[in-house]
Amino acid sequence: MRLPESQVAVLNAASATDERTIAQLAEATDLKPETVTGAAFDLRDEGLVSVTETVEEDVELTDEGVEYADDGLPELRLYRAAMDVGDGDAVPMGQVIGASALGGPQVDIALSNFARKGYGHIDSGELVPDSDVDADADDEAAALAALAAGDHVDADVLDQLESRNLVVRRERTIRAVTLTDEGVTALMEGVEAAETVDRLTPEMLTSGEWEDVEFTEYNVEADAPEVRGGKKHILRQTADRVKDVLVGMGFAEMEGPHADADFWINDCLFMPQDHPARTHWDRFALDVPPMEDIPEDLIDRVRDAHLNGVGDDGDGYHSPWSEDFARAIALRGHTTSLSMRYLSGHEVGELEPPQRYFSVEKVYRNDTLDPTHLLEFYQIEGWVMAEDLSVRDLMGTFEEFYSHFGITDIQFKPHYNPYTEPSFELFGRHPETGELIEIGNSGMFREEVLRPLGVECDVMAWGLALERLLMLMYGFDDIRDVHGTMCDLDLLRETEVLK
Amino acid sequence: MPVVDVQPDELRRLTGHEEKSDEEFKDDLFALGLEFEGVTDDGAFQLEFGPDRLDRLSVEGVARSLRYQYGDARGVSVPKTNDPDWTIVVDESVPDERPYVTGAVIRGVDLDDAALDSLIQLQEKLHATMGRKRAKGAIGIHDLTMLKGDVLSEQSTGNSITYKGIEPDGDTFVALDSNEELTPGEVLEQHATGRKYADLVSEYDRYPAIYDEIGLFSFPPVINGQRTEVSTESRDLFVELTGTDQWTIDRMCNIICYALAARGATIEQVEVQYDEGTVVKPDFDVETKHVSHDRIESILGIELEMDEVINLFERSGLGVEAELGEETVYEVSIPPYRVDVLHPLDLVDDVGRAYGFNELEPRYPDVGTVGQRHERSRLEDAARTSLVGLGFEDMLNFHMISEEENYERMGIEPGADYLGGGEPASITEPYSEDYTMLRTWVLPSLSMVLENNTHRAYPQDLAEIGHVAHEDDSENTRVAEARHVAAVVARHDATYEDAKARLATLCRDFDVELETPATEHPSFIPGRTAAVVIDGEDVGIVGEIHPKVLVEHDLELPVAAFEFDLSALQ
Repeated sequence: MRLPESQVAVLNAASATDERTIAQLAEATDLKPETVTGAAFDLRDEGLVSVTETVEEDVELTDEGVEYADDGLPELRLYRAAMDVGDGDAVPMGQVIGASALGGPQVDIALSNFARKGYGHIDSGELVPDSDVDADADDEAAALAALAAGDHVDADVLDQLESRNLVVRRERTIRAVTLTDEGVTALMEGVEAAETVDRLTPEMLTSGEWEDVEFTEYNVEADAPEVRGGKKHILRQTADRVKDVLVGMGFAEMEGPHADADFWINDCLFMPQDHPARTHWDRFALDVPPMEDIPEDLIDRVRDAHLNGVGDDGDGYHSPWSEDFARAIALRGHTTSLSMRYLSGHEVGELEPPQRYFSVEKVYRNDTLDPTHLLEFYQIEGWVMAEDLSVRDLMGTFEEFYSHFGITDIQFKPHYNPYTEPSFELFGRHPETGELIEIGNSGMFREEVLRPLGVECDVMAWGLALERLLMLMYGFDDIRDVHGTMCDLDLLRETEVLK
Repeated sequence: MPVVDVQPDELRRLTGHEEKSDEEFKDDLFALGLEFEGVTDDGAFQLEFGPDRLDRLSVEGVARSLRYQYGDARGVSVPKTNDPDWTIVVDESVPDERPYVTGAVIRGVDLDDAALDSLIQLQEKLHATMGRKRAKGAIGIHDLTMLKGDVLSEQSTGNSITYKGIEPDGDTFVALDSNEELTPGEVLEQHATGRKYADLVSEYDRYPAIYDEIGLFSFPPVINGQRTEVSTESRDLFVELTGTDQWTIDRMCNIICYALAARGATIEQVEVQYDEGTVVKPDFDVETKHVSHDRIESILGIELEMDEVINLFERSGLGVEAELGEETVYEVSIPPYRVDVLHPLDLVDDVGRAYGFNELEPRYPDVGTVGQRHERSRLEDAARTSLVGLGFEDMLNFHMISEEENYERMGIEPGADYLGGGEPASITEPYSEDYTMLRTWVLPSLSMVLENNTHRAYPQDLAEIGHVAHEDDSENTRVAEARHVAAVVARHDATYEDAKARLATLCRDFDVELETPATEHPSFIPGRTAAVVIDGEDVGIVGEIHPKVLVEHDLELPVAAFEFDLSALQ
């Protein structure tokens, strides 16, 4: 018979007449106890040995228990100090505690056990020891001493010590091995150790040789060489998450040009042409010819809204409006240019309410680069079109959206945007820090925006920087570490994935 | 957004609420939409607010709004005005670019230090906002007693000043913060304030100038003369505004008059004598707009009683008359300091603010729509998932780049017909020399990431699916935009095969046919470069990056790479 080496050793060390514990066998075979246990069970499965199990209890002193075994129980120290100082009479508390040299939490421990054991009582700040007590006969002290010496102690006292957290009791299974008749027979017929192998090879599997070999043990706790897989960029993961949430809420994704006419980027949005955000400092004008193809009737309606307002009581801006400026091409400063294209019917045909649309795409702002501002970033943009929408619908939509990112307690701060009215800055409670933070800008599109586009119903919209959401959720403090060519590969590699 | 410094003591005095603590004011101000940003060295609140309520750019306006909020004031209030004694004559020489003027005479003003500071701040903030940095409207405030009016005619007792245009060196005056006689042209070159605002008028043939009988005393929109400087001793003021739009300067003037009237001053009108006729300013006419009860309810999403709506309008400083009929319509009067009411919906917003938007109960709109990703976004996502499965680290770089990075450091030139060689879509006035154009291809960005991470562990297998663009006048936007799939394999033994093998797997994932006929590209090693031909169309490049490009990017190991148009995987 061929058996793995460890099983051969255990079989040889076991006896048919005496039970041998795992510990004894381990000593005899010079194997690790867990190896012996594994081998013993394998041998039992093959019917060569029987294994019996008994449960024993180990009692061990805690650090506190060891300390009391050495120094004495605090209540005894208190009692002895009281007797020393007052010789059985009442003693002021402070004096006893001083004499006992007890400190910190030990004083409380001493006082409560002192009372429990009837060593005396406390009266108006004085300690009155009971002079009939035999301090040397304390059974807890005796038990501690016995345990420290490795002796056995009664279960009652142990319970008491355990409740004082002075001992820890652990149950331990003792396994003992005895040779069966088959085991004896096998030994008499001769048992050989099978050879050990390092690697399982295709040849071993096809030849069946694997049945007779034993695999050498690995140190399974040792570090393995690093394997690096790719993963999606963390900002992309965040964008995907936002898209998932919005699609789940019934929003369809928009798509459109990054370079666009100012007409679509700003004029449709009822941004006056002399608005500070439209000066050359804030926008990235491109050095290309102006856009030719913009529907003339739309240009006329938008110009009219700017100059004369919309509706009987409407007023326009008292700002110049130039078609040349409207046709000039720039990088979009917000993805609201896409919303304008969709709402105008220019992208996917005339839209009938209800509609929900979104985009999570790049926008470009000529701003100072710093840890929280990039020249280009991702804007989350969303809008809802319906016959009648109220501020309450807007609030309900945003509460739903932000709840998916753990941001609750949404506050709506009335705000001003040229293109929405009413407008709100959105504030929410940070999931980790609990701080109230700005999380977006929102409102109902003005009639001066919607009517020229041919939209006769209500549309509410909101926007938010994706990077801001990422920084809130991940606590990155410099966005340049992840977005752009200055990124740190190690940071990207080690960043936790978005769950 | 504008930040205005407001002394809490002044607020207490002007609102008549001496009992209010600083903390109470902060809460009340937040409810108005004025956010507390901090305190100045001398204890003033720094308040930030949206640039719509420009009538709140000073402590007087903020106090007025608070009084409405507290219910101490209701409806529209218009200061009493006295009949004009002064005239501004607009001479035909006035610059065509800046033809409009307005003004007011202020009498009996009590200017202590706080009031003077507030007036100067209001002037500055109005310049910065409505005045578009003085281009659209500029304010000059003068000590009236230092002006000597021209006599208009023998029949009239009135005084006049004249707004005209003069040659850049046509006259001299002593400007504020100066002690020498300078011509307006010299002011633009030699005076600090002159240099700051020179761009506003330097293209004009004639410079704007205001004269009294003594001579030139104001050079709008640049600087006033020293002679008429306002101090805490000044009791009577002359306010003049010039600009490119009459309505804008009239409203700026109204805001200033309201602020000074709040301090007990008397407003005296002035006549402005244009060629076409004479107008009287300031113009405190109250305009009206109409809004229906139903629209207020539909926007706020709640039902309201008429009395409640009227109360909310009045508490917003608006006048209101209800017109009962088939549907209730409110005729709302708007005070002449408001510059933000363009449409009746702006009045609904006022009602909502007075009601308290945060009192409204949010509800999820009962509107059913179908959500979906855009086709392009799904394709991009699928390709990215395949690349990540191939072990690539997904990168995300800027779309803007410099010409040097996009072309020169990659060894290519604009105007060539190989990948990346498109004409640049350049930014007209770049803010930074690092970002002057949109990238025409993605590999320059990935090369920069490799360059910035040479201290990090290899292999560095990086991929990016990103936006690229080049100028193309046949496009409506004049810019051809696309998404490219790009990848680099940077490791000590990287070869052409490493790039091609991964590219081939990607193509298999998308069930498209890949061919790689030999080609040339200046960024790649000759003989180890192929065109990426997908389903018969040349869409990109694959190969080993040329050593000159590697060395240029401080890379000390070989890099294999590919880049092609994402739409080929469709």
